[in-house]
Amino acid sequence: MNDTSKPLFTLTLGHLYPAQLNLYGDRGNILTLQRRCQMRGIALRVVGLGIGDALAPDEYDLLFIGGGQDKEQAPVAQDIFEMKGIGLWAAVEDDMPVLAVCGGYQLLAHYYRPAIGPDMRGLGIFDAWTIHKGTHMPRCIGDIAISWNGSTLVGFENHGGRTYLGTAKPLGKVLKGHGNNAEDHSEGAIYRNAYGTYLHGSLLPKNPHFADHLLALALRRSYELSDEDLTKIFPRYLSFQERPAQAKREKKRAARKNGASSEINGVIPVRSDLDDTLEWEAHAYMLERLGLRHAAGAALRQR
Amino acid sequence: MPEKKPSPPVEREKRTRQRKSGGISSSSKTVRQATDGKSFAKRRRPSMRAGLAVMGGRAAGAISRRLHLGGGTSIAGVVAQRLYPDIVNHLSSQLAYGSVLVTGTNGKTTTSGFIAAILSDAGLRVWRNREGSNLMRGIAGALVIRARAGGNLRRSGQAISIFEVDEAVVPHIIKAVPLRVAVFTNLFRDQLDRYGEVDSVSARWQQAVNALPKNTTLVLNADDPAVASLGETYQGNVVYFGIDDASLDLVTQGISPERHQTIDTRTCAKCGNELTYTLRFYSHLGHYHCPHCGSTRPQAEVRATSITLNAFDQLRITIATPTQQGEIVIPLPGFYNIYNALAAIAATQALQINWEPIVSGIQQFKPAFGRGERVQVAGRTIRILMAKNPTGFNEVLRTLFSDGEKRRVLLILNDNIADGRDVSWIWDVDFERMAQQTASLTATGTRALDLGLRLKYAGIEPQAMSIIPLAPLRADNSKDAPAARMLEYKAGDAMSNGRLNGTQAAKPGVKVAQKHGLANALDHALQETPVGETLFVIPTYTGLLDIHRELERRGLTPHYWEEKGP
Repeated sequence: MNDTSKPLFTLTLGHLYPAQLNLYGDRGNILTLQRRCQMRGIALRVVGLGIGDALAPDEYDLLFIGGGQDKEQAPVAQDIFEMKGIGLWAAVEDDMPVLAVCGGYQLLAHYYRPAIGPDMRGLGIFDAWTIHKGTHMPRCIGDIAISWNGSTLVGFENHGGRTYLGTAKPLGKVLKGHGNNAEDHSEGAIYRNAYGTYLHGSLLPKNPHFADHLLALALRRSYELSDEDLTKIFPRYLSFQERPAQAKREKKRAARKNGASSEINGVIPVRSDLDDTLEWEAHAYMLERLGLRHAAGAALRQR
Repeated sequence: MPEKKPSPPVEREKRTRQRKSGGISSSSKTVRQATDGKSFAKRRRPSMRAGLAVMGGRAAGAISRRLHLGGGTSIAGVVAQRLYPDIVNHLSSQLAYGSVLVTGTNGKTTTSGFIAAILSDAGLRVWRNREGSNLMRGIAGALVIRARAGGNLRRSGQAISIFEVDEAVVPHIIKAVPLRVAVFTNLFRDQLDRYGEVDSVSARWQQAVNALPKNTTLVLNADDPAVASLGETYQGNVVYFGIDDASLDLVTQGISPERHQTIDTRTCAKCGNELTYTLRFYSHLGHYHCPHCGSTRPQAEVRATSITLNAFDQLRITIATPTQQGEIVIPLPGFYNIYNALAAIAATQALQINWEPIVSGIQQFKPAFGRGERVQVAGRTIRILMAKNPTGFNEVLRTLFSDGEKRRVLLILNDNIADGRDVSWIWDVDFERMAQQTASLTATGTRALDLGLRLKYAGIEPQAMSIIPLAPLRADNSKDAPAARMLEYKAGDAMSNGRLNGTQAAKPGVKVAQKHGLANALDHALQETPVGETLFVIPTYTGLLDIHRELERRGLTPHYWEEKGP
């Protein structure tokens, strides 16, 4: 690790409601982002945003929100709407990468309708809604694997609510498991660079490509890095890209801030060669026990 | 499985009134009185069915034992319950000295072990469900193996039974078993995929407590807001236990409570607002109050007023109860055992037990199966400390890694149903505490790779740990597989045959083919432990069963169902 040199990039991660929404080991996502940045000589600052704190979009480069218990989720739902709604909206519209897991995912959709009691209003960032169909409906619990941009994501899901997508694009297609609602094989939702998902496990440690994808999006947005530069930091960056909209925006930005990225070009610090053997083996292990041997083989070839 | 017919409250009241209120000298047997023809008929049929159930259950248990499928207690319970769903109520209401229930997320086994030791030191015959599971079938099995073919208990039921009960089964047990004392130790997040969230467990407990007859004494942890709130509306006798030693506060000890702890109950049970702590011992245990509605921690009657650590596994505590004051040495590692001892003291005092057996029962306690027990292997000592949820794990790590001594550790992470299928919780465990603190570290279990990944992200260098999965990845064709890279010891030496010769057989630098399986992991960990040193094994629940089976196979521990009671 080149700790001695001053980091070339500094990123700030806003961790929403670390005290209230922390039920299912989602802290692993933060640890993963932190460590992967540290290994690459990128400074990642994590700022906790609790109840009552306002969210100023300019201060952050990426956002994370986890899941919690119903009792703790109610005050959070109110706070996210009143205190952070506008900031979050602005951040998402400005292409800030956001990862929302489980309860956080539900809060970023239109509403959550519990089995008993009034609807919980969400932010409507994802055109999606969640309905809890009552205690007689079994919870969606178990290991899950989904396809994502020609690759796979693995995790563990545990949710009672069923999420239905409107115009929101799903994060991926369910290969094994339940996903959003156990009906339409969709899992998660995407809007711009905001990702909602039910995958715990934690999600990012076993899916290093997805962790890097989020970091790449943050670097691209905050430092206006070109795809070429990003590939130097994240060698597989391009293999998980699919959206032409991104490229268009990239061009627009490049036109606006001409030449900014070429300055950085060449001085990228990089420890791009992170040893992700263990990550991919854990990933492949999950695929294998779900009976997805082909995908497991593909995952092992990633290491 | 819900019990269909709880015994009518009138009956239950009659039964309990015949005991001298809480006294142990009383030994009057339950007298069954038929009030009318209808209930008489209902009463008569059961005893035949009960006899049948007992015979069926015991036969099934004997077969299971014969086939080496296990202890056979659970299967006896399953069969007996199938034949007569009310068998637990039928048998448990014959117990002359009644029953004690112990439940909670952590500390059930040790607490009921303490209570059993104290009661047998006081001269009582103690029956436990230690042979079987802590689900309803385990309770049923424990009673059935002590019953006669006629459907009555042996020794005319002249015994007290202690039931260690899974937190989800509490409502069913409370309906089926007339209880003298119900002990609730604590409530933490555990197996979220099986139990649901912490709040839903506490709601179920509250309902169960509301259904208790008033002559049951509730023993509650005052320091756990989720447990203490159970006593607020209860009409019967409530005894709180807790710690009153401010020097144990995390902040006083220089530990940031938010960083190293997972906090599972943050809000007031009454009004839902965030609790404020003046002292916090671990997780959400401490001295708390709600600034919003003003509800506070109840005053504890059984208190630990000062605590000193004599040795790693010797805690000297000063106890104050309304009737007694004295010192007790707890011969177990782990701060959490203070709560277990306090719970046992409170429970046995509620049963009118004298002070001497309380002291001797705790001080001479032999740790149970996986709760700090000691096994000698070829000059090395193995100590097994089960950890199955974030708080339990954090406390085990705190116990092992607080004195700066480098430890040798074997971690076993399984995700079988009894462990919870979700291993996300390992990311809530403070493994960072172990970094640079281990002399050797081996990770195994069904989820060894996840565990290894967690350790990696905790800042433990790859060369400082060995990851030995139970089986190779089938998709992995490369010769350079994970275990091979990390394991550097010679294959097929005396170790893997279970015979340690005490000399170091390791030849560093000899790369070998992949090593897999628990036996190899144990051998590897033992090999890295010099003679005279201690290897700490930290398994999850089924990991504990696995390691026990392995030690048993090597002839180092007895079959768990053959262990003699205290």
